[in-house]
Amino acid sequence: MSDFVIIDGNEISFEPGETLLQAAKRAEIEIPTLCWDPRLEPAGACRMCLVEIEGSRLMQPACSYKAAANQVVRTQTSRVQRNREFILSLHLADTIQDRDVMEDNNPSRIHELAEVYGTAGDWTPVAKQRVGRPNDVNKFISFRPDRCILCSLCTRYCDQVEAVSAITLAGRGAHTTISTADERSLTDTTCELCGGCVDVCPTGAMTEKAAVEYGKPERELEKVRTTCNFCGVGCQIDLNIDTEANRIVKVTSPPPGTTVNDGNLCVKGRFANDFVHHEDRLTTPLVREPGGGLREATWDEALDRVVKGLQAASARHGKDSLAFISSSRCTGEENYLMQKLARAGFGTHNIHQCAAT
Amino acid sequence: MEKKGARREAILEILHDRGGLREGVSKEVHQETGVPEADIYGVGTFYHLLSDPDAGVRVCQGLSCKLADSDGLKARFDAEGKKSCFTACLGRCDMAPAFWDPDDEPPLVECALSPSSDAHAIDLAAADGTGYEALARATERGPDWVIDELEASGLTGRGGAGFPAHIKWRAVRNQAETERYVVLNADEGEPGTFKDREVILRRPHLVVEGLAIAAFALEAREIYVYVRGEFGRVKRELAAAIERARELGVLDDSVAWHLVDGHGAYICGEETALLEALEGRRGMPRMKPPFPVEKGFRGKPTLIQNVESIACVPAILNRGGTWFQEAGRTQPGSKLYCMSGHVVRPGVYEAPMGVTMAELLEMAGGVVGTLKAFSPGGASSGFLPADQIDVAMDFAALPKVGSMLGSAGVVVLNDTVDMVEAALNQAVFFEDESCGQCAPCRIGTQILRQMLERYLASGRDASTLEIVDDVSWGMCEASICGLGQAAALPLTSAMKHFPREFGVGTG
Repeated sequence: MSDFVIIDGNEISFEPGETLLQAAKRAEIEIPTLCWDPRLEPAGACRMCLVEIEGSRLMQPACSYKAAANQVVRTQTSRVQRNREFILSLHLADTIQDRDVMEDNNPSRIHELAEVYGTAGDWTPVAKQRVGRPNDVNKFISFRPDRCILCSLCTRYCDQVEAVSAITLAGRGAHTTISTADERSLTDTTCELCGGCVDVCPTGAMTEKAAVEYGKPERELEKVRTTCNFCGVGCQIDLNIDTEANRIVKVTSPPPGTTVNDGNLCVKGRFANDFVHHEDRLTTPLVREPGGGLREATWDEALDRVVKGLQAASARHGKDSLAFISSSRCTGEENYLMQKLARAGFGTHNIHQCAAT
Repeated sequence: MEKKGARREAILEILHDRGGLREGVSKEVHQETGVPEADIYGVGTFYHLLSDPDAGVRVCQGLSCKLADSDGLKARFDAEGKKSCFTACLGRCDMAPAFWDPDDEPPLVECALSPSSDAHAIDLAAADGTGYEALARATERGPDWVIDELEASGLTGRGGAGFPAHIKWRAVRNQAETERYVVLNADEGEPGTFKDREVILRRPHLVVEGLAIAAFALEAREIYVYVRGEFGRVKRELAAAIERARELGVLDDSVAWHLVDGHGAYICGEETALLEALEGRRGMPRMKPPFPVEKGFRGKPTLIQNVESIACVPAILNRGGTWFQEAGRTQPGSKLYCMSGHVVRPGVYEAPMGVTMAELLEMAGGVVGTLKAFSPGGASSGFLPADQIDVAMDFAALPKVGSMLGSAGVVVLNDTVDMVEAALNQAVFFEDESCGQCAPCRIGTQILRQMLERYLASGRDASTLEIVDDVSWGMCEASICGLGQAAALPLTSAMKHFPREFGVGTG
């Protein structure tokens, strides 16, 4: 016999240990959250997901509260709704009420939710006491304390998913902020600049310096899904394109649970894309002139030149005078083709791949 | 993520020994313990005695000290060129205005007490015997008898929550897991409260005996005592009593005793925040359930009791649960009430549970001036007006009038007190001491304080207070722990009973 939890009158089966939020998600019952991520231990800190549970005096966070047999849960009562409005008004007063200012780059989940669930009114902005790290010299990630809601997604992600623990909740109470040890630059910590903190941030407090500088909000960019070609893993990435200028403004990762990389990227995939528009980038093959200079050529001409050169060396010095090294950016299939070329095409076992050592 | 085998539990003590969180210290402690450097920084910055080691003399800005001109005291230190800062209630309300110098702990003067009486379970004025008869009786009759007597006594937690003690004891005892802990909460910090300090200073053997009985009844092999960081002498007295009990052969080596320092965070009086501190983390309360009786210290079944609760246990076993039950008037037991503020003899008075405020005032020598209001149980209990002095001071009657007994830290206010200023004082306290984890408390406490400041700055324009109801509703409904749930009460109760001072109505 299965156990059921009863959410808004719907009997929903659940696995032992599952939370109310997980059960509700399966039944497509929407419970709004700000500090939840499927990859992380729940924090229960934003209080957006509070629901009523029969027999419990206080509302409980659906993200961390475990489902139990025959538990009666209500997600649509006036008390639950009033709390959602309260939480959103709080966060708006404690960050930036003007959506256009808030969303100068990243979308703001609090404004999105406020549109759906409403607020308890526009409250006088709180005089904020959080500090940032204005002297952090890293080139990629910026922390803007005026937007931070202390959901701790970034610190939990850094710790639990990346196992890097470069950032932490620091200070207490109104002064609580996100910091590194001794407020050092990220580049002087264990940070690997994966940018996961930027990706999980629901408000743009953690953001990408270059994208903010570019000056166009994410919602005005077109997302183009592609495969990262920095290595063979096959991470899916979304190029965020300014279609008017035909430029990649930044790279984001698809949501967790949707692609092989589960929402994660590394420093190269997320940040190393400025070569695309760089003026020094080669866009056609070049071959060397007898005088030593380079000139543009077709692929056919360039490849002919390579084949002739390799064959001449092989004929003069023997087959094992050649060695082939493939790039760590290649897939398994490409590496297979490379060794085929070495062995079948040039008769040598001198084949290696740069990531193999 | 910390490496397997990282010594997280040690980091707070090491930070303390290094003189606090100076630049470079987190790296050293990281190398020593294997805990990530950023984590150490995050933990260190949470506790004000570690995060600001050079702040100098701490001047109490608790309400009783404020009434006794702590601002003037601070100004005197400034004039003398002595470095000082304001801090939350130091638990020295009987010596208001109080201060604490970490390098030169000021002595505690003799606190006023109720005279010794046979009717008292703790009896602070009596000599602290080392007979340990209750422990002998417990070991002779067994754990079930101990817990049955506790049940008959009706003892409820004296830290503020008033939860029946026997339910916790039995719940820990009934766990299948045999690794269990007893934790004593001696992190006394509720503004207006200084009873646990006096219990340990005057009757340390009662506390040691109560803990030994708990460890015996629950078959726990380790006892942790978490003592507020500013209570150096209290910790030393307790350590001396444990040592004496060992010398007397009352305590054997089957149970390990650990005395742990707090490092400056009121929130660590909340039991799960205290556990986080013991485990070397930021003192942020945990989600409940699971409760500590099931998953507590190190994830194992844990009994956490307040000092006063544990000190009641020997009398309960010596004189019987029924005796204790009958020692109360409206609810079981005798109870320690801390009287401070505008009273003639501030001190700790033991009285039957349910004594009235009028009787307590008489014990403390009466009001200095004319009574206007009082706070029955620390900042978290809000304010009641003078006409409520006949309400029974217990866990049932006070909630009915919109307050609570809490820690029974009674602060008395005479008619010179501006209730707006009093509410602002409590608002500052809760904002300073919020852990910052959940949004309702972290942001709500800032909104309340800033709103009151705007009210005063605007020449008392009531429109600055119009969202009080919405904000206090949400703080009470949505905060994770009791701090945020209670933080709006000083303001809302002051507005309810003294509306005219807040520009509303004619009251």
